[in-house]
Amino acid sequence: MANEQERAYFKRYKEDVETRGKPFHPWAMFHDTVMSLVVVSVIVALACVWYFTSGEEAGESGILGPRYTEEADPGTTSFIPRPDWYFFFLFYLLRIFKWPESVVLGTVGIPTIALILLFALPFMDRRRERRIVRRPVALVGALLVIASMGILTYKGATAEESLASENVELVDEWVQEQGLSEEGEQGATLFAQSGCQSCHTYLGSGSANLGAPDLSDIGASGQSAEELAAYVANPAEFGNQVMPAYASLGEENLMLLGTFLAESTGEGGGE
Amino acid sequence: MARTKSKRRRQLEQVVVYPLDWVEERSGFVGAIRYFLFRKVPHDTNWFHTLGSATLTAFIVQLVTGVILAFYYKPSPNEAYDSIQVITNDLTLGWLVRGMHRWGASVFIILLFLHMGRVFLFGAYKYPRELNWLLGVLILVLAMLEGFTGYLLPWDQTAYWATVVGINLNATAPFAGPFISDFLRGGQEIGANTLSIFYSMHMLLIPGGLIGLITLHIYLVIRLGVTSPPWSQDPAGGERTEVVTAKRGLVEPRPRGNGGPP
Repeated sequence: MANEQERAYFKRYKEDVETRGKPFHPWAMFHDTVMSLVVVSVIVALACVWYFTSGEEAGESGILGPRYTEEADPGTTSFIPRPDWYFFFLFYLLRIFKWPESVVLGTVGIPTIALILLFALPFMDRRRERRIVRRPVALVGALLVIASMGILTYKGATAEESLASENVELVDEWVQEQGLSEEGEQGATLFAQSGCQSCHTYLGSGSANLGAPDLSDIGASGQSAEELAAYVANPAEFGNQVMPAYASLGEENLMLLGTFLAESTGEGGGE
Repeated sequence: MARTKSKRRRQLEQVVVYPLDWVEERSGFVGAIRYFLFRKVPHDTNWFHTLGSATLTAFIVQLVTGVILAFYYKPSPNEAYDSIQVITNDLTLGWLVRGMHRWGASVFIILLFLHMGRVFLFGAYKYPRELNWLLGVLILVLAMLEGFTGYLLPWDQTAYWATVVGINLNATAPFAGPFISDFLRGGQEIGANTLSIFYSMHMLLIPGGLIGLITLHIYLVIRLGVTSPPWSQDPAGGERTEVVTAKRGLVEPRPRGNGGPP
């Protein structure tokens, strides 16, 4: 419940506004109208820049990105998972946490804590002081939140995307380093082309996203090619809810991938 | 001459006043609008206080452009992508409506954060405005969900795979996670069901919730009033110190504008 002081403040507030305030219209109305016009103008300007600098072709990007990319195709797996910018902080947060131990901290834990803190703010901060310089905890907390959100959003926005065309050129190196068989090499090519490296790193290439582990020595875990192929086909069956299912690659391709992964022991069987 | 003029004038006034009186007598709406427009606000409100109404403007832009887009958009996997292309490239000003909806979403989110930052900076969430802060946080959450569900609708690769990952991330939540993600997908695979569910949430469920919450939010703003800037020399509700009392006696007309130096 509110205490006497708080009630007295609000009573004074009402009196002050009544006796010495100014009418909403036209004073505040003027400011609000100008601001609203600015908002609509900015939106129209953004729409114009977006449209007039981009082209009709899918993926033909202008200053503010393309109008649309290729039509959705569950069959193609060479994708770069990328949310809208205001989810970048969450997206980048998942680079910090690793599957399977701590990824839930990034997906659920931290957002939930942040939300609870936001909801609880007026109940934790009960002092009546409103000047920010005399609210050190609030000031430091706000600066930390702004800084971390800003950095995470910036990092998410500028995170390097792993390109299939660049990764394919690395396959020869991988063959050398890991001593891959003929089938393993085919699997490696598939691995480079299928967008695996949008989330997984391999021998220093690719980008680590969504908590996906490095796969350079996945073969050292002792899993067979068949087991690995089954995992890739449907990770959810093995309790991995984050990784999408790749059953659409087909049995044969999955086996090649499985072979490649099983041969990737990180020990270098080759020269 | 004078008589005909005043008669016409009286008739004109009747035309305007009569329907207003008629509505007022039966609803009290006119009085409510008059109260809204001419209610007093603290003399030192300034440009910072426009962030809320700016956010509302961005939301209204989203409502209007969203309704127009819904005229032409077809929420099925076979047609969605084509209808987006038709809207963007063929329909008269379709690009403008879609562009405004797409970029308006970002502007809406930015303004929500700025508005929240302003309320935090001013300490305006304190008694008696705690409840309105909670409503505001709920509005922020629903706005982010609106962004998430709307992102799938163009049905292009970016949309599809971002949603695959988004739904999978939901599934990592303990207990409820797998159920939520199955519900969002409407089955095992992302397909026609997913698109229908996202479409319905994006244009019925969440906007409905947002309109309700925003109405309550604004009602509380009107009921409780806005706070003076904390740096104001003479804030509404400030302590009755001698300095303030003396100043109030001396300063005529009433101070207005930015409330003095920071």
